[in-house]
Amino acid sequence: MRVVIMGCGRVGAGLATRLAAEQHHVTVLDTDAFAFRRLLPEFDGRRLVGSGTDDRMLVQAGIETADMFVAVASGDNRNILASQKAQSMYGVKVVVTRVKDPLRAELFGRLGLRTFSPTKVGIELAHDALFAPGGR
Amino acid sequence: MYIIVVGGGNVGYGLALELQQLPDYEVTIVELSGSRASALRDELGEMVVHGDGSEIAFLEGVGARRAELLIAVTADDGANLVTAQVARHWFKIPRVITRVNDPRNEALFRKLGVDSIVSASDAVMAQIEATMPEHTLVPLMALESAGLRVVSMRVQAGSTAEGKALRDLTLPTGVLITIVITPDGALAPDGSTVLRHGDEIIAVIPREADETLRAMVTGAHPDDGRS
Repeated sequence: MRVVIMGCGRVGAGLATRLAAEQHHVTVLDTDAFAFRRLLPEFDGRRLVGSGTDDRMLVQAGIETADMFVAVASGDNRNILASQKAQSMYGVKVVVTRVKDPLRAELFGRLGLRTFSPTKVGIELAHDALFAPGGR
Repeated sequence: MYIIVVGGGNVGYGLALELQQLPDYEVTIVELSGSRASALRDELGEMVVHGDGSEIAFLEGVGARRAELLIAVTADDGANLVTAQVARHWFKIPRVITRVNDPRNEALFRKLGVDSIVSASDAVMAQIEATMPEHTLVPLMALESAGLRVVSMRVQAGSTAEGKALRDLTLPTGVLITIVITPDGALAPDGSTVLRHGDEIIAVIPREADETLRAMVTGAHPDDGRS
């Protein structure tokens, strides 16, 4: 698969490294070149400095022929803007969007993006961990 | 009528000043930056609220459910796009107006059905065009959902339209001449209304009627008048 990843934080870099190891064609975008330090040495995909909300950058990243787009940059709204662009303007079939605000994640999930909220998942995990058996 | 304005920059501030004057309007201005919000609050008072206008829980708190109009005018297109969709799809606010800062985002906003779009660059162009003496056709407002625009035109000397009654003009399909402003004041025209040099016409037109109308009021060939 051809995958474009917006945001090279811990999640973006980890996902990029993993997808590349799985033989997918990966391009990672980040506005800060320093973020690419998080990619493991074995990462053999492309890295591009620029914003995923910028059409020129998206085209350079190969959005027009991409099969998948993942937005895991820091801002919810930027992630949503870029994702809706990828989906509505460039016809990318699979679009996954990180949205920290759980309600916003729910709404944009209903509107057609595959959203996930790390906040919601985090609350669940923390709660489960609190009441897991075996504490001391 | 309750209105929420998201974004307390120059545009939001200007809007607030205008809307404040109107007796039957209740307005809330939402500003993300704390320091900007408190500066605005000093001047405008309680109507200014510090918060994130793209956050559903926050909008709920400022009464988005009873708002009849939401205007998203921050300098951040992502925030405006998200706010507009939240307003429309979550709170079902009947009318939503959105500002587009980067003209390249306009197509996306349209495609996502954000119904009324104000593009800063379009607005500036319209202002520039309006100040030119030969101003011919100035877009005043877009009615996105219907694909129509409200425009102002001025009848030029020697044009096809000058001296003609409306019924004698072959107007493009879908064009609605709504108001004619003459030196004697504004009137609701009918077929017998004769257009004079200098008259201003306010009309609702489909996008594609632009060039034909421009030619009609200037007398220029359709291909000359392209802006």
